[in-house]
Amino acid sequence: MALVVLPSVLAREAGGRTRFELEAATVGEALRGLPVADLVLDERGDLRRLVNVYVDGVDARERGGLDAPLTGGETVRLVGAIAGG
Amino acid sequence: MSTLVLAGTRKGLFLLESDDGRRRWTLQGPFLTGWSVYHAVLDRRDGTIHAATNNAFYGATVHRSSDRGRTWERAEELGLPEESGLTLEATWHVEPGREGEDGRLWLGAAPGVLFRSDDGGATWRVADGLLHDPTRDRWHPGAGGMCCHSIQLDPEEPERMYVGISAAGVFRSEDGGASWTPANSGTAADFLPDPYPEVGQCVHKVLLHSARPERLWQQNHCGVYRSDDRGESWERLDGNGLPSDFGFALALDPRDPDTALVVPEESAENRVTADGRLGAYRTRDAGATWELSAAGLPERAWVAVLREGLAFDTLEPFGVYLGTQSGSVFVSPDGGESWLEAAAQLPPVLSVEAGEWP
Repeated sequence: MALVVLPSVLAREAGGRTRFELEAATVGEALRGLPVADLVLDERGDLRRLVNVYVDGVDARERGGLDAPLTGGETVRLVGAIAGG
Repeated sequence: MSTLVLAGTRKGLFLLESDDGRRRWTLQGPFLTGWSVYHAVLDRRDGTIHAATNNAFYGATVHRSSDRGRTWERAEELGLPEESGLTLEATWHVEPGREGEDGRLWLGAAPGVLFRSDDGGATWRVADGLLHDPTRDRWHPGAGGMCCHSIQLDPEEPERMYVGISAAGVFRSEDGGASWTPANSGTAADFLPDPYPEVGQCVHKVLLHSARPERLWQQNHCGVYRSDDRGESWERLDGNGLPSDFGFALALDPRDPDTALVVPEESAENRVTADGRLGAYRTRDAGATWELSAAGLPERAWVAVLREGLAFDTLEPFGVYLGTQSGSVFVSPDGGESWLEAAAQLPPVLSVEAGEWP
């Protein structure tokens, strides 16, 4: 079981919930299990360019991106990239 | 009766309401915080608010509220088929279907695509005919992307509709959106080697006159135009009192097909209100002459009014609504005779629409 933590805009879209405990073998599987999967992944199923995913504090892109393995107990944190105004 | 203005901004949606003849306004919101609301509209058929919403991080979608903004639902995943080679860039305009077309809505989006919903905005399906239009390879994105921003439904012919795409031009469908014909004859594209091409025009806004549906008005990158034959041909109208041929916004008098308003900007290179003042220009003779309508508006102003920044209601006399990138919403309760500031210091206003709660 991984704990997925959402930032505020996504949490509002998920009915106000910021934390989701999900059974998932990879980061991609965890994200696809979210009620806001369409906001995190594009129509090709790729991680949106300005969404960062950290697994226990490490950027998931360094561990294989959506294929990064989850073995249980991790905290997966979604963070908007530093951009915009 | 309560009049409503939906002001979509770069930072959420605001609602303005008036109960006293459109003179005093109360402000509610922001709703949909975190989202840029490119356009929001009240569906007169059932009182649902639909909003084309975009977020730099989380993409493009459509939200709807059936309880006056208290709660919102998001459309199911919106995207383009992989075989198209295109991906959804932004949602731009929601157009409710006709009376009697329960549940039907249209959505204009970038890159130059149209979606249809038959379930009140819960799910959307891309219109294949426009997606695969044979002229698409001659379309190019404008500064705001290749946005499908205008969707007009003929109130008398249920299969006839129009879209405006920047910079592709105006297209007409006679089969309910299945196939499309370019409708750009006589409109200029001065930025192309052939200034009068079949497609490629940078149309900024297109409106159909509901009381005379063969008449269309258009504010283009290169001029203001009117068509009296369903877009078969266009007559250029600027230069008859208009300070510039460039602008985005357009509004009509719902009872008088000869009356229209535009908000000219200085030029394509300097997109601020012309002559350093804010004003709409109004014609009451089908575009033969234009006069400044600015009583009550700030006299010195260098602001920008976007393509969805002008709207009108259906009351008598008709009201006109103007939203600026500097965060003001101005209201003319008398068809452009006078203006008042209904809201100020909002985030940059991307769109205004008028409506009445059912």
